[in-house]
Amino acid sequence: MVRFFVYGIPVLLVALLVASFLTVASFSADRKNEITIGSIGEPTKLNPIQSAEASASQVESFLFESLLTYDQDLEIAPQLASSYTLSQTTTVYFRGPTGAFAALSYVKAARDSWAEWGLRDARAEGTRLYLEFDQPGLAASEKIFSLFNPASTLPLTTLRVETGGDARAVFQAFRDAEPDRPIERVWFDYNAAFEITVPGDGLQMVEDLKAFLEARGNTAKVDVVDTRPFLAEPLVDFRLRDDVRWHDGVPFTSKDVVFTYHAIMDETVASPRKPDFDLIQHIETPDPHRVLVTYRKPYSPALNSWMIPLLPAHILEGKPVKWWEDHFNRKPVGTGPFKFGHWKTNESLRLVPNEDYYLGRPWLDGVVFRLLPDPITMRLAFMTRQIDYWGVDPWAVKGIREDPRFTLFSYPSNAYSYVGWNLRNPLFQDLQVRRAFAHAVNVPQMIKYILYGNGVQSTGIFPPHFWFSNPDIKPLPYDPGEAKRLLDEAGWVPGPDGIRVKDGKRLSFTLITNQANEVRKDIATLVQDNLRSIGVEVKVEIYEWAVFITRFINKLEFDATVLGWTTPPDYDAYQVWHSSQSNPEQLNFVGYNNPEVDKLLVQIRQEYDPERIRQLAGEIQRIIYEDQPYLFLFVPNSTTVIWKDSLRICRPDDKGGWIDTPVEVTKAGWAYYMQWFYRPEFADRLPANREVRP
Amino acid sequence: MITFIIRRLLISVVLVFLISLISFFIITLTPGSPYPWGELNPKISQAVKDNYRKQFHLDEPIWNQYWYNMRGLFTGELRSIKDGRPVLERIGERLPATVSLNVCAIAISLSFGLLIGVYSARKSGQWQDTSLSTLCFTFLALPEFWVTYLLIIGLTNWVAIPLTGTVSHGILFPNEGARLLDRLWHLFLPAVMLALGGIAGQSRYVRASMLETLREDYIRTAQAKGLHPDKIFYRHALRNSLRPVITGIGSLLPALIGGAVIIETIFAYPGIGRLGYQAVLERDYPTLVALNFITAVLVLLGNLLADVLYAVVDPRVRLE
Amino acid sequence: MIRRFFRNRLGVAALLAICGLFAVAVTFAILSYLKVPFPQDPNLTNLERKLLPPNPVNWLGTDNLGRDVFSRILHGSYISLTVGFVAVAVSLMIGVVVGAISGYAGRWVDNILMRVVDAIMCFPSFFLILTAVALLGPSLWNIVVVIGLVSWTGTARLVRAEFLTLRETEYVRAARTLGQRAPAIIFGHILPNAMAPIFVTAVLGIPAAILTEAGLSFLGFGVQPPQATWGNIIADGKTYLLDAWWLILFPGLAITFSTLSFYLAGDALRQAAETRIERK
Repeated sequence: MVRFFVYGIPVLLVALLVASFLTVASFSADRKNEITIGSIGEPTKLNPIQSAEASASQVESFLFESLLTYDQDLEIAPQLASSYTLSQTTTVYFRGPTGAFAALSYVKAARDSWAEWGLRDARAEGTRLYLEFDQPGLAASEKIFSLFNPASTLPLTTLRVETGGDARAVFQAFRDAEPDRPIERVWFDYNAAFEITVPGDGLQMVEDLKAFLEARGNTAKVDVVDTRPFLAEPLVDFRLRDDVRWHDGVPFTSKDVVFTYHAIMDETVASPRKPDFDLIQHIETPDPHRVLVTYRKPYSPALNSWMIPLLPAHILEGKPVKWWEDHFNRKPVGTGPFKFGHWKTNESLRLVPNEDYYLGRPWLDGVVFRLLPDPITMRLAFMTRQIDYWGVDPWAVKGIREDPRFTLFSYPSNAYSYVGWNLRNPLFQDLQVRRAFAHAVNVPQMIKYILYGNGVQSTGIFPPHFWFSNPDIKPLPYDPGEAKRLLDEAGWVPGPDGIRVKDGKRLSFTLITNQANEVRKDIATLVQDNLRSIGVEVKVEIYEWAVFITRFINKLEFDATVLGWTTPPDYDAYQVWHSSQSNPEQLNFVGYNNPEVDKLLVQIRQEYDPERIRQLAGEIQRIIYEDQPYLFLFVPNSTTVIWKDSLRICRPDDKGGWIDTPVEVTKAGWAYYMQWFYRPEFADRLPANREVRP
Repeated sequence: MITFIIRRLLISVVLVFLISLISFFIITLTPGSPYPWGELNPKISQAVKDNYRKQFHLDEPIWNQYWYNMRGLFTGELRSIKDGRPVLERIGERLPATVSLNVCAIAISLSFGLLIGVYSARKSGQWQDTSLSTLCFTFLALPEFWVTYLLIIGLTNWVAIPLTGTVSHGILFPNEGARLLDRLWHLFLPAVMLALGGIAGQSRYVRASMLETLREDYIRTAQAKGLHPDKIFYRHALRNSLRPVITGIGSLLPALIGGAVIIETIFAYPGIGRLGYQAVLERDYPTLVALNFITAVLVLLGNLLADVLYAVVDPRVRLE
Repeated sequence: MIRRFFRNRLGVAALLAICGLFAVAVTFAILSYLKVPFPQDPNLTNLERKLLPPNPVNWLGTDNLGRDVFSRILHGSYISLTVGFVAVAVSLMIGVVVGAISGYAGRWVDNILMRVVDAIMCFPSFFLILTAVALLGPSLWNIVVVIGLVSWTGTARLVRAEFLTLRETEYVRAARTLGQRAPAIIFGHILPNAMAPIFVTAVLGIPAAILTEAGLSFLGFGVQPPQATWGNIIADGKTYLLDAWWLILFPGLAITFSTLSFYLAGDALRQAAETRIERK
C-alpha cells in the first residue's frame, strides 16, 4: 500500500504526462476559421468611453463603431454617419437695434465679398446680427467685425464659476434671484462649474456673482475666461446611416449619439474622453438620423473626437455606472462587424461574426484575442501557429524577411522617440548646448543598430508620414567636431578628468528612463557613450514606469529623460508644447516656452482649412525643431509578420464587385481590412464574382 | 487543545488586521496612481484626474481609504479601481486555474520528493544517493525563468507544440479525451517547473526523516528479529517517517492559492500571481488589499493547522 | 566536524568552487574599482560588434550593445555575490537577535516575538519586495536590504529552537547560578554552541538571495544597468533569447554553478554538524 504511493503515483504522473504530450503533438493541422491575435496586455473594460488603453481599443475596434473614422490613408472618413457638413453661426451684439440694422445693410452691400468670406447668409434680429458661414473659423468673422463701427457693438464676456459642486442649483438660484440679468449662454462642466456669456465687459457681473455666492456661503472662484467680442459657434451636421442595427437587433439612431455624449459628460462615469467634448454647447436631434452638434467656439480638433465609438442608449440609459460594470463592460453590445462572444479572464477573449452587419457578414467565424504577457512566449506562439501574427522585434526582422514562409509588413508608426531636456535646468537653457548634444548623438547609427534600420530619423514633433508634417526640415547631422566647437563657444572647456567645466561646474547630468523598454534603455546607454566622447558625463538611471512618472516627470524633477510620444495623426500639439501646460503633472514637462509657438498652437486649433493647417503645423514643427527642447531621435517602424498561407483579403470594391488579394499594408496599418480577412482553406464561402489578384 | 485553538484564532484575527493595515500603508505610499488610462496621455485633463480621484476616494486621508477598503472587502462591494469589478469576483475567477496548477505542482513535488527521498535513504551513502542529492540541489540552484525558457525553446525546436495558456487554440479537437489531455498538458509543464524546488526540498526532508527513523530502537529490534529488510523498510520505517510529511501538508494551505508570477507570465497562465503582480504595477489598491488579506488569513490558518496536525499525529506533543 | 566535512568529497569540491568564485569576485571588484578593462571593458559599447556569437575575441559572444559578455559576467560576479552575502548578513543579524531573545527569554516575550514572526511570514514576500523596491528605488543596496528584511524569519525560528534546548543545558544553568548576566550568557555560552546550524542556514541562504535577485531582474525590478549582475545580464538578454542564445546561457550557467556550490557546501556542512550532535 505505502509502496504503491511511493512508486505508483510518480509512474502514473509520468504516464499521464507522456500521454498528454503525445496527444497534443499529434493534433492535426485542421484549423478553425478564426484569426487568433496575441496581446501583451488585457483590456480592463470594453467600454470605449471609460477605457483608454491600447489593449482595450484593439478589441473595441471590432465591436464598436463611431460617426467618423480614419480611412486607409489616415484621413477622416464617415462610418456610422453617412455624411457630415460643417458650418458656423457668428452672432454680433449691438447696443441698439439700429446698430444691428446698419451693420446688416453694410454686410449686404458688400455682397461681392461673401464668397471670399465664405458667408452664406446674414440677418438681424433685435440687437443681434447673425452671420452664417460655410466653414467654421475666426478669420472671416474677425474681418467682418472689424468693418463695423466699434461704438455701436456690444462686447461679450464669458465667465467661469467654479462652484465645486451643485453648479446647476447655484446657477438656478442666481437666475431666480435676478431674472432680469441678460445671460446669452450657459454651459455646465459636470456639476462642478458653469460658464456664462454676458454682454458687456462682465466686471459688474463678476462682482455681483461673488456677492451672491458669498451670501450663500459658497467660496466659488469666478474668472473671466473669454473676451471675444462676438459669439462664433461652429455647427457639425451629421446624417446617420439608416441601415445600422445594434448587435441585439435594435436600430441605431441619433438617440445613441446624444446618449454617448451625455455619458461622457457625466461626472460619475469619470470618462477620460471628456476634455474632447467640453467645447460642445449642445446637441440636437431633429430626427432619428440627424445630429446637430453646436460648439461654443471654433476648435477644429473637435471633429476627431467623433471617432469615439458609440454606446447603445437602449441598454445603458438610466443605469448607474455600477450596472455598466456588471452587465455591459464585460459583454458589450456594439454595431461593429463582430459581436462579443466569450471572455476567459487573463486568457482569451472571443468575438463572433455579426451576421447582420450592414456591410455584410465577415468571412471569419471568430476573432480570438489571446493574452501572452511574455514577448518570448508570444514569438514562440506565432512560430507554432498558436497566433496568426506577431509584431516582430527589430532584431529579428532580417531573418523573418528572408524566410519564404512569412509575409512581413513594415510601415512607419505614429510615434517618435526623443531625449527631453528639462529647460528649467540652467545647463539646458543654452540653445548652443542643446544643439551641441544633438550634433553629438549619432542617430543614424542608433537607427541602424537599435532598430536594425526599421525607422527614419525624426524631424520634429510630427512623424514625416502625417499629411501636415513639414517636409523641408533637415535633421541636424551627426558631427562631433561641431558639437565640441559649440560647447567650447558656450564656455564649456575640457577639465582635468576630460569632463568639460564652466565656472567650476562640471558638464554632468542624469538621464532617466523607464524600465521594461529595451529600446529606451539602449538609447540611454548610447547617448551616454556619445556624449562621453565630447566630454559630457551622463549618469543613467532606470525606474519602474509608475515611479518614473509620478516621482520624476510629473514633479518636473529630472535633468533629461528618454521617452517617446505615440500620437494619432492630429496636428493639435497644444497639451505638449504650450507654455501654459508646463506645471506639475502636465505634459509640457520639459518646460518649453516660446510665445510664437504659443500663438500658433492656439491659432491652429481655430483653423479648419487643410491648407492653412498644413502651413501652421509646418511652422510649429520648424520652430520647435530649431529650438531643440527635445533631441528628436527617430520614428520607428511598426513591423508585423503573418504566415504567408494563413490569411487573404476579399473586400468589396466601389462597383459592387469583390477584390480578392493577399493581405497588404495601408497607411493605417496592415490590419485595416481585418473584417474582410479569410483563411484560404475556407475560400468556398466567398462570392463567385470576385476578382482574384495573386 | 480547544482553548489553544481559540486563543490562536483570536491572536490571528488581531494579526490579520495589523498586517492588512501595514501592507495598505506600504502600498499607498508607493509612488504611482491607479488611473485606468496610461500616464502622459495628452487627452486627459487635470479635471478628469481630479474627478477620478474623487470617485474612488483617492483624495481622502489614508485612514478613510483604509476604512473604505476594509468595509468593502467584508460587504463584498470592494471593486477594483482598474476595471470596476468586485475584487472577490476577480480573485474568484482565477481560483480554478490557480488551485489546479498548485494542486498539480504539490502532487508532483510530494510524490517525486517521496520517491527520491525514500530511494536515497535506501541507498544512503552510495553513489545513487549522492547523485540524486546533487540532482535535487541542481533543481534548487537553477534560476526558475532561465530553465523554463531553456525547456520551452527546446520543446519548440524539437517539436512545434503549443505550450501556453490552459488550452490549445485554433485547433479542432478530435474528441473529448483529447481535449482533456490537452488541458492536462497545459497544466503539467508549468506545474513541473513550479514543483522543481519542492521536489528537492521534499526529498531532502523525507530522506533525513527516514534515516532518523532507521536508527530508532524498534527498527533494530525488527532487524534483530530477522524480518525481511523490505518489510522493515516500507512497513515500519517509512510509515513512521511519513508523519512529519503529513503534518507538513498543513503549511501547504496558503500555497494552494499562492501565485507564481514568473511561471505564470512565461506560460501565459491565468493565475493569481499575475493578478497580484499586475495590481502592483497598476497600483490597484483594492485588489492588493484583498489579496494580501486572503493570503494572510491562509498563512495563519495553515500555521495553526500544521501545529494541530502535529499534535494529532504525534501523541508526545501537547498543545498548551 | 571539520574533519567530518572534509571526508565529504562533494562538499570539498563545492567549497573549492566557492573559494574560486571568491577569488574571481575579489579580483574583479578590484579591477572594476581601478577601472581596468580586463579582459575587456564590461560597459564599453561597440555597435559594430553587436550580438556576435562566441568568437576568439569575445569568448562568450557580445550583447545587443556589443559589450563583451565574458567581461560582464566576470565584472558582475562580485555584485551577484554581494547581493547574496549582504542579504544573508542582514537576515542573520535580525534573525539571530530576535531568535536569541525569544528563545532565551521565553514566556510572553517569546510569544510576542513569535507572533511577529508569524505576521511577517504572512506578507506575500515577493509582492512585499516588489512594492518595497518600487517605493525605495531599485538600487543595489535597497534590493539587498529588502531581500534580507523579508528572509530573516526562518533564521529566527531556528535560533529560537536552538536556544530553547541549549537554555536548559547544564553549563548554561551553571553560568546562570554563577550570576552571569543575560548578554554574557547569550553571547558567551549559548550562541557559540548554536553556531553550527546558524552557519548552515547562512550558507544555504546565499544562493536563495542570488536567485531572488535574478527573479526580480526578470520582472525588471532587479539591480539596474549599467551595473551588471548575473541576473540582469540574463534579464536583458532574454529579449534576444531566440536570436542570441549565448546571452542567457552563460550567465545562467554562472548562477547555477555558484548557487549549486553553495547548496552542496551547505548540505555537506549540515551533515557534518548533525553527525557531531549525534556523537555528543
